[in-house]
Amino acid sequence: MLNSDLTQQIRDKARELLESKAAECVIGYETGSDGAIARPAFIYSPDGVERLVFDDTCTHNLASYLVNRKGKATAVVLKACDARSLNVLLQEKQVARDKVYAIGVACDGIRQAVWGRPKGELQDRCKACQGHTPPIYDVLIGQPTSPDPPAPSDFSRVAEMEAKTPEERLAFWQRQFARCIRCYACRQICFGCYCQECFVERLDPEWTGIRVAPAQNQMYHIIRAFHLAGRCIACDECQRACPVDIPLSLLNRKLEEETLEMFGHRSGLSAEAQAPMATFRPEELE
Amino acid sequence: MSLSTSSPRTESARRTGQGSVLTKDGLKVWLGRLLESHRVIAPAVEDGVLFFQPVSRPQDVVLEGKTAISPKGWVHPQTEVLFRVERRDGATALESPEEPPQQVLFGVRPCDARGIKHIDKVMLAEPSDGLYARRRERTALVGLACSQAWPECFCTSLGLAPDDASDVDVMLTLAGDIFLARAVTEKGKALLELAPLEDAPAGEPAVAQLAKFPTDGLAPAMKANFDSKYWAAVADRCIHCNICTFVCADCYCFDVRDAHVGGTVERLRCWDSCQAYGFTRIAGGYERRATKGERMRQRFAHKLLYYPEQFGEPLCTGCGRCVVACPVNIDIREIIQDVLKMGVKSATARAE
Amino acid sequence: MQPYLATLKEARYITGDVKVLSVEINDPVAREAFKYAPGQFAFVSAFGVGESAVTFVSVPHRPGPLEFAIRRVGTVSAALHELDVGATLGVRGPYGNRFPLEDYRGKDILIIGGGIGMAPLRPVINYLLDHHDQYGNLTIINGARSPQDLAFAEEFETWAKAPRTRLELTVDRGDDVWKGRVALVPAVVEELKPSPANCVTITCGPPIMIRFVLQSLKKLGFADSQIVTTLEAKMKCGIGKCARCNVGEKYVCQDGPVFTFDQIATFLEGF
Repeated sequence: MLNSDLTQQIRDKARELLESKAAECVIGYETGSDGAIARPAFIYSPDGVERLVFDDTCTHNLASYLVNRKGKATAVVLKACDARSLNVLLQEKQVARDKVYAIGVACDGIRQAVWGRPKGELQDRCKACQGHTPPIYDVLIGQPTSPDPPAPSDFSRVAEMEAKTPEERLAFWQRQFARCIRCYACRQICFGCYCQECFVERLDPEWTGIRVAPAQNQMYHIIRAFHLAGRCIACDECQRACPVDIPLSLLNRKLEEETLEMFGHRSGLSAEAQAPMATFRPEELE
Repeated sequence: MSLSTSSPRTESARRTGQGSVLTKDGLKVWLGRLLESHRVIAPAVEDGVLFFQPVSRPQDVVLEGKTAISPKGWVHPQTEVLFRVERRDGATALESPEEPPQQVLFGVRPCDARGIKHIDKVMLAEPSDGLYARRRERTALVGLACSQAWPECFCTSLGLAPDDASDVDVMLTLAGDIFLARAVTEKGKALLELAPLEDAPAGEPAVAQLAKFPTDGLAPAMKANFDSKYWAAVADRCIHCNICTFVCADCYCFDVRDAHVGGTVERLRCWDSCQAYGFTRIAGGYERRATKGERMRQRFAHKLLYYPEQFGEPLCTGCGRCVVACPVNIDIREIIQDVLKMGVKSATARAE
Repeated sequence: MQPYLATLKEARYITGDVKVLSVEINDPVAREAFKYAPGQFAFVSAFGVGESAVTFVSVPHRPGPLEFAIRRVGTVSAALHELDVGATLGVRGPYGNRFPLEDYRGKDILIIGGGIGMAPLRPVINYLLDHHDQYGNLTIINGARSPQDLAFAEEFETWAKAPRTRLELTVDRGDDVWKGRVALVPAVVEELKPSPANCVTITCGPPIMIRFVLQSLKKLGFADSQIVTTLEAKMKCGIGKCARCNVGEKYVCQDGPVFTFDQIATFLEGF
């Protein structure tokens, strides 16, 4: 359902930014080819802003596109969770703050949606929303609906998994990884996976090679999850992109829980926070 | 047997004579018999995902729904060993892989069967790929007409039909609660001999109806708009993953590299994707298709221009899997229609 | 896609990072049946790492092993460099089209090579030298970044002394002992002013060199159809199946690698 109020405000802001040349491009959402579900849209001229929409299918984390636009003034529509990834990118110095104009949206939640199919219920991440208001923005569209500090994360599915025996867990994950076709949609859609060359494709040294098989797939997913520890902001886009429904967010939630417990760290709440995996404190030796 | 048939629909409707009906129980009996002599690859559910996989029990076969990925991997595997390098008595020797098993791909939709035919044309063209040829020889396709179309389906726009039997060995069509079974090839005839065919009265065959959009003049339009800024504009939202090429019924590009397994070396052939950065990168680092727009254009130009020039038809069967799977909604149907809309006008503009 | 087993008979550096491998197919029947022509290529395997498409630098009419010039740039080439004499490697091919040298009979030939781009040109030169009575004058312009990077230096004397043959060496940067030309290849072309009349140019080198050589040749009146090159593209099969080496609708592995520039001008895609 189109949120006409938010949509209009986004269009107005986009027009203003493009007309004043404050931004060369506005990355937002437009209605997709099934006439119902939104998709990312790159708008370069004020004439194009009428394409922009905002509704409960705007699932994509548009911060993912920022790294490739390095150096070019870009405005981007960011939901509260997506805005956390902008903070992570700033913290990791992948984007320059003055080149990004964040159109933050206080969002009411996104529904599960598959192209051409009726919309489903609220996405899991939204049911466990940690705060509807973006932690970083240049303009805020919509009314902040939740107070600070952000709500705690929901680790109930991690707990369910941990209640199983190690054998059961191993069997579960082996079955999931056996199904993986290594299309890398999970990685490519991830804001945090911006490496020029992913370890999985490196030839020298070769970590996994080109073989698509359970052990290699497992290595890919586990290493990727580790690389996202303390960085993943739980947008769950990896899991949404997976064509064979591997519950990838479960791995990320586990590492999120660990980072929270060990370092008290929640990723993306501020651009100045220290990244636990990139910071060393002498007392950690203990 | 009826000779003049005006459409695939009436054709299958007329094939309801003696010995051409399989009840649902009969189908299970047949599957059971096929399982004794063949590896049977059929749609089955795992963790809620429907995909083609080896089945061991007839009751696991699911003939409703659409698999997440085409069955092409069972003739052109995502990973296969081309040969092994062995050390024997101090000398190097190359070992060919095990002979592929006799297999039946069961419940293959007409679009997926055509996809395999498209891959055949490449892999079996001289010089033919021996390993592929041997696997293909030992593979029979039991087709299943679509009684239902999905929103992304557009096979009829590319000249197929939901009950097109041209690329399978046996064709099954649902009619009421029984299947009409028809042998299309000699291979299929041999398989059907194992089936408990009955003479039961058949219901009306259920064949999906699909809306169709025109695709005439696509290759010239692709050529005319090759240098258009359109490709870069669509590619803006592309995340250049490999999902479209891997779920595709037709995409067949591969990579070849060596892998170590214990003490031996295997030369592997694995699916690869023209969408990946590095696909055309040569040693030393030069990447010919460095931009997303060029890579995206390659995929559509291969499907809608190069392959048609080489083999006479698009490298797409309208299965629509890429449409559903693409996480950012790059929709080949939209692209086909956009390119046709741009038409050859821009070619004139280019020439001027 | 299974290669012949072959043995490394000899390996020698011809520049700082280019090694010529002399390779003999083990099976005598296959060795005898293996017929190739200048311009064609083979896949050479370093088992355990992979295989690469490499042009022949030997000439088929001279007896002896197959020769490949390998520049150390990637994982496969590095592994090939590290093979000891006597080691087993793999060879499959030959693939691709060839230089139509018999069509050039009676013509002057201008060879312009840069760096490792001399590799596919070397069999052409040696073919022409061995059949010099059938051809007009031969001019060879061989350029490289530095004197040490000039490929096939061991043959310069033979080439320079051959009848109606002129060898022009040039480097981008000289050194203390280099007494020859220091100039970019296109500048040498413009200085020598070869006549386009009854002449065919065969060139190979880095894309940037090719681009400027083309401009220079056009200034001198050469038509695209008189200029021949061989393209490099990443490929995995050599037989038109892996769909990786296409430049527009042309497959470098089967339609090429040898093309004239009037053919290249019709390609949809740049290379």
